[in-house]
Amino acid sequence: MAAPTCKMVARPLRKFLTCVSGTCLQNNAYRRLSLATPGSNVVKSSEPGVHAVSPWKLHGAVCLQRLPVITKDLSPLEEEFNKLMHQMELERSLLSEHELRLLEDAERMSRKQEADYDSDEEDVADQDILTAQDMEDAWEQKRRQFQPAPRLNEPSDMDRSSADRCLGDSLLLLVKQRVGSEELWLLPHLQWEAGETLRQTAERALCSLPGADFKATFLGNTPCGVYKYKFPKAIRTESSVGAKIFFFKALLSSSNPSPTQREAFAWVKKSELQNYLKPEYLNQVDRFFISI
Amino acid sequence: MSTLVSRAVMNLLSRQCATPCHWRPSVMTLKTSLPLRAEPTKKKKIDPKREQARKERLKKKLKKMEKVAPELIPIEDFVTPVKYSDELSVRMLPQVPFEESERRALLLKEWSRYKLSQHKAEMAAIGQALQAQREALQELKLESEELYWAALRPDPVLFPFHHQGPSYTPPKDKYQPPEGKYSDITKVYTQ
Repeated sequence: MAAPTCKMVARPLRKFLTCVSGTCLQNNAYRRLSLATPGSNVVKSSEPGVHAVSPWKLHGAVCLQRLPVITKDLSPLEEEFNKLMHQMELERSLLSEHELRLLEDAERMSRKQEADYDSDEEDVADQDILTAQDMEDAWEQKRRQFQPAPRLNEPSDMDRSSADRCLGDSLLLLVKQRVGSEELWLLPHLQWEAGETLRQTAERALCSLPGADFKATFLGNTPCGVYKYKFPKAIRTESSVGAKIFFFKALLSSSNPSPTQREAFAWVKKSELQNYLKPEYLNQVDRFFISI
Repeated sequence: MSTLVSRAVMNLLSRQCATPCHWRPSVMTLKTSLPLRAEPTKKKKIDPKREQARKERLKKKLKKMEKVAPELIPIEDFVTPVKYSDELSVRMLPQVPFEESERRALLLKEWSRYKLSQHKAEMAAIGQALQAQREALQELKLESEELYWAALRPDPVLFPFHHQGPSYTPPKDKYQPPEGKYSDITKVYTQ
């Protein structure tokens, strides 16, 4: 109601001023205008963000993901299909040079075993001392000398606080934080302070985690999700109705957890999230935490 | 002393040999060796003409060679080597029996159903994530314009983004891969 009347007053005043200040310098005219019409300019000159103080407290949280390191185990259908694909590829292929050499060597050996073998008939140039089978055996031996790291690591899988568990799935970092009167498992978050962007709040939240340093790449400035909740009636006031937590996605590049603070962290798969998070919080986190 | 000796030798020589010998220079003259007697070859007047004629002949030859179109560099991929032209390398396998081909057809259908459901699940998950982001941005806009515009700003540091995808086995710590050497035998053609 105040705004329209202000404008109505300002318009004839402005016209009067422009007529008067036509001869004066431009600066003076602007200055007079700004003095004459205080109502319209108040919002612009004050802090460009909030019009009125919002009743919602802002928090920045980080959704730190460790992406899978190894491929998942194949389901029975996938295994069968894999075998079928290999079989079909074999049937449709031609013999490779190595296989041709194997056949030739086998044929030459069988000819040598015959009674009426004449070595002069052979083409000496084609023969090699090392047959294809020998080469294959040598390669097989060399392959056996290499031991790859094991895919499955049972003891590490049980330890919830290590980032090396369940290498085939993508994991999410949860911390136990005190909210109000109770301790809850949450994504690490901090209250937003004036003068920084929400992403910087999330970065601060990650750095300020006690006991462990995580090196992460944040994926952009945009939040990936929001969780809005109202404070319990006892704490609720006019100016603070509740809080909005904005989540920012980050990918883990390296971590050095110290052994003392192990109980405070948990790296959980998507299927285990329901054991840790509250139902409403879980609903929101489930939407942006993609783990296929 | 030396002059006396030379005079004595001269008298001796003049008495002994009447005819002068041209291959042995006389003792009185300076002892000149071959390099000392050498002179730069004198250029004859007819030589520049010869030089020019030679140059013109070479130029004509070059022009003739240039007129011919240059030989095209062969594309190795389009030329089938001769050893693959005969049918030596055909794999002889028994023909697939009827039951096996039936089983394969059914498995392929099952696979296409499985892949379709997987695709639908993926698309749904992506749609949900995008919706969550949209809602977050809406809530942020309601809160503060400045933070909203700060959130929409692109991140200059993020791209180019590299990530090592999953492998079959996890990486071994302190593993030294063996050094490989190779000899490059690609044929290089010049036109």
